[in-house]
Parts: sequence; C-alpha cells; structure tokens
Amino acid sequence: METYLYITAVIGVYVGFAVFIIGMGWRAYQWATTPKSPVKLGMFPKPKTRVGRFFKLMKDTFIAPQSASIEPRMWLFSFMFHFAALAAFVGHLRIIQEYPILPELLGEEGMNAFAGWAGGIAGVLMMVAVIYWIARRTFGPFKQLSVPEDYLLLALLFGVIIMGNHMRFFGHGVHAETYRAWFQSLLAFRPMLPSELVYSNVGWSLGTHMLFTDLLFIYFPFSKLVHTIGAFSANLVRSE
Amino acid sequence: MESQQLTTLTGVIDKKMNRQLKQYMDICARCAICKDACHQYVGTGDFKYLPARRAELIRQIYKKYFTKAGEFVPALYEARDPDENLLEELYESTYACTGCRRCMYYCPFSIDTAWILSVAKSILIAAGMGNEMLGQLADAAIFKGDNAEMFEDVMISGFKEIEEEVRQITGNPEAQVPVGKQGADVLYVALAGAHSIRPAAVIFEEAGENWTISMFEAANYGFFYGDAEKARLITKRYIDEAKRLGVKEIVVPECGHAYRVAEFFYEAWSKEPMPFKVSHILEKVDDYIKSGRITVDKGIIQGKVTYHDPCQLGRNGGKFEQPRDIVKAVTDNFVDLTPNREKQWCCGGGGGIVAMEEFTKTRLASGIKKVEQLKASGASVLACPCENCRLQIEELNDIHELGLEIWQVIDLVVAAMPLPGNKKAAE
Amino acid sequence: MSDEIKVDLELDLKGLLCPLPMVKVSQNISKVEVGEVIRAVATDPGAMADIPAWAKSTGNEVLQAEKVDGEFVFLVKRVK
Repeated sequence: METYLYITAVIGVYVGFAVFIIGMGWRAYQWATTPKSPVKLGMFPKPKTRVGRFFKLMKDTFIAPQSASIEPRMWLFSFMFHFAALAAFVGHLRIIQEYPILPELLGEEGMNAFAGWAGGIAGVLMMVAVIYWIARRTFGPFKQLSVPEDYLLLALLFGVIIMGNHMRFFGHGVHAETYRAWFQSLLAFRPMLPSELVYSNVGWSLGTHMLFTDLLFIYFPFSKLVHTIGAFSANLVRSE
Repeated sequence: MESQQLTTLTGVIDKKMNRQLKQYMDICARCAICKDACHQYVGTGDFKYLPARRAELIRQIYKKYFTKAGEFVPALYEARDPDENLLEELYESTYACTGCRRCMYYCPFSIDTAWILSVAKSILIAAGMGNEMLGQLADAAIFKGDNAEMFEDVMISGFKEIEEEVRQITGNPEAQVPVGKQGADVLYVALAGAHSIRPAAVIFEEAGENWTISMFEAANYGFFYGDAEKARLITKRYIDEAKRLGVKEIVVPECGHAYRVAEFFYEAWSKEPMPFKVSHILEKVDDYIKSGRITVDKGIIQGKVTYHDPCQLGRNGGKFEQPRDIVKAVTDNFVDLTPNREKQWCCGGGGGIVAMEEFTKTRLASGIKKVEQLKASGASVLACPCENCRLQIEELNDIHELGLEIWQVIDLVVAAMPLPGNKKAAE
Repeated sequence: MSDEIKVDLELDLKGLLCPLPMVKVSQNISKVEVGEVIRAVATDPGAMADIPAWAKSTGNEVLQAEKVDGEFVFLVKRVK
C-alpha cells in the first residue's frame, strides 16, 4: 500500500502538477503568440463599452445563457458539474490550509460535518453529471461525434470522482487535518504519508483517487479541457 | 496519401492559422449543443451537417499535423490525413453551410464554425475541389472589373432604361440614375439586377440625395467561394471607383453578405483602412423617413406584415432595428417572427447555396424552420431584404403554399410613397 | 441572324433576377456538347453584362446578345 501511495500520492502529484503547469503555460503561450484573426468575428448585439464587454464575457462563460436556452437539460447537468467542481476545488483547499473563522463558528465537529455534507453533495452532483455525459455519448449524433478522447476524459473524471466519494463517504475518522499533513509535506518537498491514512480503510481509495487525478492532470493540457482557460478569450471574440 | 498534396493542404492551414482558429481547434468539447442551432442539421438530420462535425474534419487534420499529442496518438483524436474521404465530406459540409453563425450564438465557447469553414474552403480550393459554380461567378465578376470599358455601353443603356422607369414612378422628368458623377456624396453599389437599382433610385431622387450609381455589383461570389484574394478583387472594383469619384460614403444594397464584406472583411483582405463610411441602404432609408426627407403612407400595404432578419444583416451585421422601423413606418399591422433578431433561424438560402444546384435538396429541407416560423406568424406579407433569403423563401413559399407576398424592403417603401407612378398603378 | 444558328438547348430565364440568368446558363452549359449552342432569354438587363462576362472568363463564346422586344436574347456556344 505504501508503495502504491508513494507512486500516486507523491511522485504522481509532482509529475502531474509539473506537466499541468508547464503544459497549460505552453498552451497559453502558443495562443498568445499566434496573431489574432484579421477579421473581427464578433456578433450582434455587441456591448459598446469595455465594462459591458467584460460583463458579457463573464455571463457567457460562467452562465452560457444561450446554451441554456437551446438545450436546457445538457446545460443543467453541465452547470451542475462545473459548479460542483468549483465547490470541490474550494473544499480541497482545506488540505493546504484550514479556513479562517468557519471552524471557530462551527466548532471542529461542526466544520467536519459541514465539509462532509458540502463535499458529499458536490461529489454526488459531479458523479451524476459525468454519468449523464457518458450516457449522452452512447447514442445518436452524440455517439457519432465522440472520439476516444471524450471517453478517456470522462473515464478519468469518473475515476477521480468515484474514489473521492469513497473517501468522503467511507473514510470515517479520517478528516482534513490528516490529509493536510500529507499535502503540506508535499508542498515542503519533504513528502511523508501519515500512517493513519495509509492504513485506514480509505488508503487504497486515496491512492486510486490520486492515480486518476495524476493522469487527468497529465493529460489535461493536451485535451479539450484547455477550454477552462480558452473559453474566456474565445467568448470575448463574440463582442469584438 | 501523396506527400506533395499533404504538404500543400497542411500548408494552407498553416497559412490561415490564427489565434481564434487555434483556440477553436483546441477547445471544442464536442458537446453538440450546436446540433439544434443549425437549420441544415435540424432540417435534414444528416450528421455531416452538425456544426461541430463540420469543424471536426478540420480538427482531425489539425490534431495530426499541428499538435504533438495528435501526432503521437492519432487514434485518441481520430486524427487523420486530408485524404479523399475526408475532402469529399468536407466539400459537402462546407459548401452547404450558409455561414449564418447561429451555431456560434448558442455555443458555450462561441466557436465560429463559419470561420473554421473559411479555412476548409481554402483547403478545398488548394485540393482543386473548390465549388465550380461559385468560382465561375467570382471570375466573371473579376473579369467585369478588369474589362470595365467592354461593358460600359450595355451598363449605361441599362441605367438609362431604369432612369425612364424612375421618371415615370416619381413623375419627375428630371429624375436621374447618375452614372460616374464626380463629387457625389454617395456611391450606391447595387446588384446586377434592375430590381435593386430602380426602387433605390426612386428613394435617392425623392430624398434629394447627391448620389451616383456604381458600374459594379456588390454581390461577392469570391466570398462564398472562399478565396480571399478573389473576394478582395471583386470588392476593390467599387472601392477604386469610389476613390476615383471622390465620394464620402458607400451604400450597399439590401443584400446581406455585401454589407458584411464591405464593413467587416475588406479591411482585413486589403490591409488598408476603409477610406469611406459604409452604410446599408436600409440605414439610409430609415434615416430619410425619420428625418422627413421622404414620406411614406400607412395603409397602402394591406395585411399583416412580418420581417425576416437575414443572418448577415442581423446577427452578423448588427442591423436589427432600422429595417423594422422602416416596415413599421409603412404599416401598423406588424408582427415579428419568433424567434427573431440574433436568434433568427437562417432561411437556408445563404452562402451562395442558391447558386449550387447540387445542394437543392438540402437547401429546401433546411428551410423547414423558416416555414414553421412564417406559418406561425399569421402574416400575409413578408419584408425580406437579402437577395439570397428572398430567392429561398420564394421557393419555400411556392412549395409549402404559404401564400405570402414577398417584398424587398425598398420596394415596400416605394409602394408606400405618395408618388404619381404609384397612383397610376393603383388606378 | 439567330435563324441561321442551330440551337441545341432553349433556356427560359424570364423573370429571373441577376445573377441567376448567368447561374442558369453556367449550370446548363455542361448539358450540351462542345460546339453546341444554348439560346437563353432573360428579362433582367443585368444579364447583358453578366452572361458575356461569364462566357469570357470561362472561355465560352457568346454568339449573340441582343435586346428583342424588351427581352434579352443570348446565343451561347460551348467551347470547352
């Protein structure tokens, strides 16, 4: 178990993080250094002011009202996924540093219960969305349009989420501070794996959660997931 | 595939590469939300017309030859060579596209499929698979520009005939269709057909505009063909003419793509700033009506009137209100189509598709949404600016027995003007 | 003059607005053999420039382009 975790939760994290940062940086650099289209590709109606363009960009990127109006169900699941992913990301920050104020307000027990509920809901919502996406790609034009990349990414996401949910729902007694000890050791470049984590009932699920996460992060810059940063400038073009 | 052909075709993508194209290639999630935005996909159910699929063909080449990941693991992206199979499908999906950009409107990343397909057209042309009809139409227009003196006499005699009609309609024996008038304020670049000149001439004369007619037409088949150089040369014909005459403003006819070409594309093609103000004729007419330079009467146009937003004029050109205001000035019985403005369904006749016989079946099937909209409106009169839209909707009108009267907007205006020629016709 | 030339295909383009007359001639030119002649009648005066320009740029030949009783009559010979 320790070897498995050492590979996925230590080495894998460093490799995944490095590939992700360098890959995304390289992708952004490529975009930034390729000259813009000589033709203005915007569509009407266009906001007239910079502030107007900014708000339209934010609305189009985070809410995508047009997409919502044409396929509400797909929009709902996608919005759900992205919102839950953001919540999960925010929740994961606890393993770097405990949030201020909240634990004082809720107490240690209350904080863990709150995180349990919030993380649990986020995990379930993400899982449901990914299942919907997978199902949607199994028939008709959606299937015809899909390429292996689409299924690979969904499989990786599914793995990350299902293992995360396992830790969330079955990892009784293993709370944020245990994970924090592990993650801070990574940040300090003095990696260690707390034995209460490694030998708990969620040791293997952390290992597998991290295996999928590492692979997802390594593949991320080479996949369509670069839309996480590309969507902003692509949507801005709408107003140009 | 043959390496020389491959080098040529990938070279085209390389030359056309820009930030937008690269991002469109990289970020599309193949979510297929664009599926129901496309009138051709909705009308035919044919997978090759799904917007993301049209773009995917270019993406497959891009992934293989422009990304390391696609080069190493092509199977992951279904990356492949621009071989015969790919090019054949690309031809069908690219030249059928009307460039309405409704898919871009609904895309969560605003991916401009029409822009990707402009690259596709360059690839097809380089492979010797450019649409022959559009190519011929473009070449004929360029030939007219290069040999203007050859056509001068027939053009002028055509204008003289129109001038006669204008005199009858306006009852003004002095009314003119001025040709080559130095120092005119406005150069009106019409279409080749007299129908685009006659009503405009009536309106310009009645408004007391200091105008002159162009020897060239604003339609640009080079744009539809997908060859930026041909498209530039076709536009340059009237830009040079405008410079020579010293006009202040170029006015393009109701034709949708002509406006977009002049206002948005020419600067990029010619790499020089557009030296004139570019106006759409309906902007001018709206202004004439609002400022009282021409008078229109309500009540002459009978029945419920609706308006079709041509994609190149509305969503892609930003002229939503002026044409509506004109129509509302000639009737109190106006109803909008649903949806309208930026959400308007493409009629299915854009992008030069009306000139390409091979796409007739697709084109007519793709008009189904427009037919539904028109039926639901309960209108008996349709004001429809763009020439391509009008050709398509007239055909749909016949096939589906919609019983619509279909008008150019400027014809509607002239009919509603208190002119002696109109009264004679009414009597 | 038109009586002397054998016409292989008649096209009625009356009522069509430019550039459709040119489009129709172009679409139909492949339906006749090289050396054969299309007779096209249009009503849009724009065709008087369009059809000859099309013929010149595609290497075909306009044998006649005349106005007869308010209609425009063309004789177009397929050369290639």
